[in-house]
Amino acid sequence: MLKKILSKSTHVFSFFLLVLGFWAICLNLSNYYVPKLLSYGIFLSLILAFLSYSASSGTVFYCFKRIIEAFITIFVIATCTFMLLRLMPGGPFDEEKALPPKIKAKIEAKYGLDKPLAVQYFDYLKKAAVFDLGTSYKYIGRSVGEMILQNFSVSFTLGFYAFLLSFLIGIPTGLFAASKHNTFWDNFAMTLSISGVALPNFLVGSVLIVVFAYQLDWFPSALWDSSLHYVLPVVTLGIRPAAFIARLTRSTVLDVIKSDFIRTAKAKGLSPLAILYKHVLKNSMIPVLTYSGPLLAGILSGSFVIEILFAVPGIGKDLVQSVTNRDYPLILGLTLLYSVLLVISNLLVDFLYSFFDPRIRLGV
Amino acid sequence: MLSFKNFLILLFICLTFLLNACVKKDTSGDFGLPKSKTLRMRLSGEPPTIDWHKSSDTASSLITSNIMEGLIVFNYTGDEVSLAPALAESWESLESAKKWVFKIKKGVTWSDGEPFEPKHIVDGWERLLNPETASPYSYFLYSIKNAKEYSEGKIKDFSKVGIELQGHTLTVSLKQPQDFPSLLTHSSTFPVRKDVVEKYKDKWTEPENIVTLGPFKLTKWIHDQAMVLKKNTGYFGIQSRTENIVFYIIQEAQTAINLFEMGKIDVIRDLPPKDLPALRKLKEFYTYPNLNIYYYGFNTEVAPTDNKFFRRALVHAVDRQQIIKILGGDQKLLTGWIPHGMFAYNPNVGLAYDPVRAKAYLKKLGYSSKNPPPKVELSFNALEAHKVIAENIQAQLKENLGITVELKSEEWKVYLETLKVRPANLYRMGWVADYPDPSNFFDIMLSYGENNRTKWKNLEYDRFVEQASGLVSNKGKRLELYNKAHQILVSDEVPVFPIFTNVAQHLISSRVISFPTNVMREFRLKNTSLQ
Amino acid sequence: MNHLKKSSSLWQDSLKRLKKNNASVISFYFIVFICLIAIFAPLLSPFAFDKQHIDFILSSPNQNGFLFGTDSLGRDLLSRIIYGSRMSMAVGIITALISMLVGTVYGGVSGWIGGRVDAFMMRVVDILISIPSLVLLILVKVVFDSVSLFEDPELKALTGMLLALSVVGWVTLARIVRGQVLQVKSLTYIEASKALGIPSYLILLKHILPNILGPIIVLLTFQIPSNILTESFLSFIGLGLQPPYSSWGVLAADGWRSMRHYPHLIIFPSIALGVTMLAFNLFGDGLRDALDPKS
Repeated sequence: MLKKILSKSTHVFSFFLLVLGFWAICLNLSNYYVPKLLSYGIFLSLILAFLSYSASSGTVFYCFKRIIEAFITIFVIATCTFMLLRLMPGGPFDEEKALPPKIKAKIEAKYGLDKPLAVQYFDYLKKAAVFDLGTSYKYIGRSVGEMILQNFSVSFTLGFYAFLLSFLIGIPTGLFAASKHNTFWDNFAMTLSISGVALPNFLVGSVLIVVFAYQLDWFPSALWDSSLHYVLPVVTLGIRPAAFIARLTRSTVLDVIKSDFIRTAKAKGLSPLAILYKHVLKNSMIPVLTYSGPLLAGILSGSFVIEILFAVPGIGKDLVQSVTNRDYPLILGLTLLYSVLLVISNLLVDFLYSFFDPRIRLGV
Repeated sequence: MLSFKNFLILLFICLTFLLNACVKKDTSGDFGLPKSKTLRMRLSGEPPTIDWHKSSDTASSLITSNIMEGLIVFNYTGDEVSLAPALAESWESLESAKKWVFKIKKGVTWSDGEPFEPKHIVDGWERLLNPETASPYSYFLYSIKNAKEYSEGKIKDFSKVGIELQGHTLTVSLKQPQDFPSLLTHSSTFPVRKDVVEKYKDKWTEPENIVTLGPFKLTKWIHDQAMVLKKNTGYFGIQSRTENIVFYIIQEAQTAINLFEMGKIDVIRDLPPKDLPALRKLKEFYTYPNLNIYYYGFNTEVAPTDNKFFRRALVHAVDRQQIIKILGGDQKLLTGWIPHGMFAYNPNVGLAYDPVRAKAYLKKLGYSSKNPPPKVELSFNALEAHKVIAENIQAQLKENLGITVELKSEEWKVYLETLKVRPANLYRMGWVADYPDPSNFFDIMLSYGENNRTKWKNLEYDRFVEQASGLVSNKGKRLELYNKAHQILVSDEVPVFPIFTNVAQHLISSRVISFPTNVMREFRLKNTSLQ
Repeated sequence: MNHLKKSSSLWQDSLKRLKKNNASVISFYFIVFICLIAIFAPLLSPFAFDKQHIDFILSSPNQNGFLFGTDSLGRDLLSRIIYGSRMSMAVGIITALISMLVGTVYGGVSGWIGGRVDAFMMRVVDILISIPSLVLLILVKVVFDSVSLFEDPELKALTGMLLALSVVGWVTLARIVRGQVLQVKSLTYIEASKALGIPSYLILLKHILPNILGPIIVLLTFQIPSNILTESFLSFIGLGLQPPYSSWGVLAADGWRSMRHYPHLIIFPSIALGVTMLAFNLFGDGLRDALDPKS
């Protein structure tokens, strides 16, 4: 009895956290500067929500195991990336106007690049273990942790909206197309969503800029400032996953509709809306979820193209530029961030699996 | 099943969510600064640092040259570049330019209200040379006695370096005669407040910590987004005519051009070649010469470019005018090594377009239709403008000489690495003047120069150039030596293939008055005003 | 024998289903058409793709005898698009094939052997997936651009791109193939063949491969357009094909900046790119529906 109440209350609690998260998002939309912390709050509350959910459903051990695994994966990734980067020709201090060799050696010594690779590697690990990611080679004196945190908040918010947008557009479109299976509307919606993936996003983005920013002046295209600045980049970023989700939803919904329990539900005389939400949607979410794990990590870690087009101060741009600058600490920091994001979002997806399909049991 | 009505409801929910994002219009752009008093410029990238002893790029120097000032500044009258006093009141040379004496200005204050003292200059130089600082520009002062030794850690005692300060008189002893004052215009020789640097360490360049004495103060630096400068009312020179400057960091030129055309920024300093044909028609388009050269180097150790006649044939076979036409037509054709408007510029030296002579050279080397010339490798770093030029050279060499050119486009750092190890037969390079003196250009090709990637060594050339750079006062003799060096470099031996001098191409809004346009690409904005 | 017959009729059924889907059929013919253009590019294009007409720089479409206009070096855009199909298709198809081959073998072995080997092999895949693909792409592209493995200039220009895309592409395929193998492996007739002592490679080739071929082909048709898009992204960040060769991605990346001033430079390559993407996706969709026995 007690256990049941407990489980119920944690469910309520996680629901409450979810609501809090969405409220924070709405707040976030109305102003950009206030909720920098809140964006982390959202993410944190979501994690908390699922942790409490996991506690209530008795999967603490499983969680623990996953976290240990994640740490090992991240450690291996750090090692691989560290070594891979040194394979790349060219160093961080090669410039067009070549530095006198002695001066270059001096600069390299300052950053410990003169030491044997193994020593550098262990130095890095030692520092990374206490969350010190070092200082950037290119942006002199700026700590990598600080740089990432600052730009990540922008990429995160941008990515989060795009993620939301792609679900909010993708799932209804997919449902709609499925409900009008083999009609004009179905073909229309599907062709439209295939067109969404047909062009590279730098073209989509620049068309949006020319039309909505340059010609109509409805939305700003750059000079990152207010919430309005999110609109065009979010749309550009969200189109592709939205189209993909629409197609995925349609095909799984078509599968689900044919299954027996839907027929039973219909026979029971449930309203179409109830069937849709209680049965069809819930049962078609598994493939979408599988896709959304990597999507979430990818989209939150920023997009180079969009950040360049819209002059957004985000980490997608940082990643490409740090590679071209051979700014090793920054590349490593961003890689670690990405893998952490990937691990977290895959974890979230796993928990959501059991939420949508009770047959899937965690840790089994 | 799902009815159309339900779909509409869902769509409506989505849309309200989207619209929610658009409700609140932002009130103020430009950080709340009035547009009429604010100059808005584009920066093409985040400045790596504005610590003037550590920066080595143009974005950083744009900022430092507006918030700081050194002993001496350049003064531009037409094409002429001369020196004008700033923190130094006057200067004179002793012992035929081996010793220089500077009188330092009094009554100057830093932006935090502290008085400026001559020792801040010595502090700055000490910091520049100090091995701990690891400054990329520390070699700038290597001509001072013992400076190099101090910088390399061979001497620990800074007082042994040839810098002497007595009251407001600064005496500098050099190893050999040199036009030393022109070096002091460079931002790496600016004074520094050692106490501030020591107090804030790496964070001393942040707007809340930095202490400067130039015409502007740095008031805001939102990394990766914008920098805001405000007029420094305590500036010792003529007060700036502009109240505020906002530098927006916008990497993509196309984005910046859109903003310019929408009137949201006032100045764009560099334009992508793709857009030039269209942008040149605008009345806001400005172009003026700069001191730089765009050239290709030959790898003189690898066949077939190890042969100087083959190199000459290649240079003769390329019509530079065609390249300039493709780039929009503003660039100045260059056959010599020294850009237009600089001492020792010589339009008559070097190899001009002459396909007949090019063919003759190849014939002389024994190449014919039966024995076709070998293929040539040409490399460049992957950038739009370079690609277009490389593709054109490839087409021209094919057409004029029947030589197959293999293009190799490489990512920037890979490119630099291959240049170090084994450059291609032909490789793209450029040079922008650090100071307006031909020695800056001729020094590149010295057999021991770090930037001489051609592997070409010529002792005669070295001798001419070394002799010439010491002759500060004897201009006639200097010119003669440089002409001889020039002849060897671009007419006889031809390890390099100069193509053109690039120009600055700006978009400057009509509300901006007297934007600085000078050959050194210095953008000191205190004289710029707004309509 | 009986089993083989049954499987071939399954394929015939699928073909029948595919033929009923008009969009797929049209898309298929379009893809064949593009492939033909790619193969016969030298015969079809009015000019050499790198011929520079310096006097006719940036001509508008249908001006000076250039149907699609010229670019900033005076090269005929139509010829470049025709030749571009060659490079784009090569990038799309060859990389898809390489990644499919590697992915199928890796995933197949991993799934078939199972146990610890499987766990280890999949961990490797996990790690590769967790390194941002961008870093891998740039790294491989940059390293292999300076290595020349081929003499043929066209292949030489492609090497870096092909390798970079394959290195990133095979991982997801391996994962999916493994999943499929695991599913098929547990079917009773495979167990039966094992019990009969049929060697593993025969089971893999004769029983498992035909069973998972459908999903693999579907993946392949989706991999091709995604490769072509990734190639255009790499062109956008300045790591495109070696010049003077061009693909649609290179043309689009070169042209998008001129969107307002010289729209022809971007419109024509985008149409070529977009329509081909559409065709591959529609065909892939149709193929998936046709091969899916559930429908």
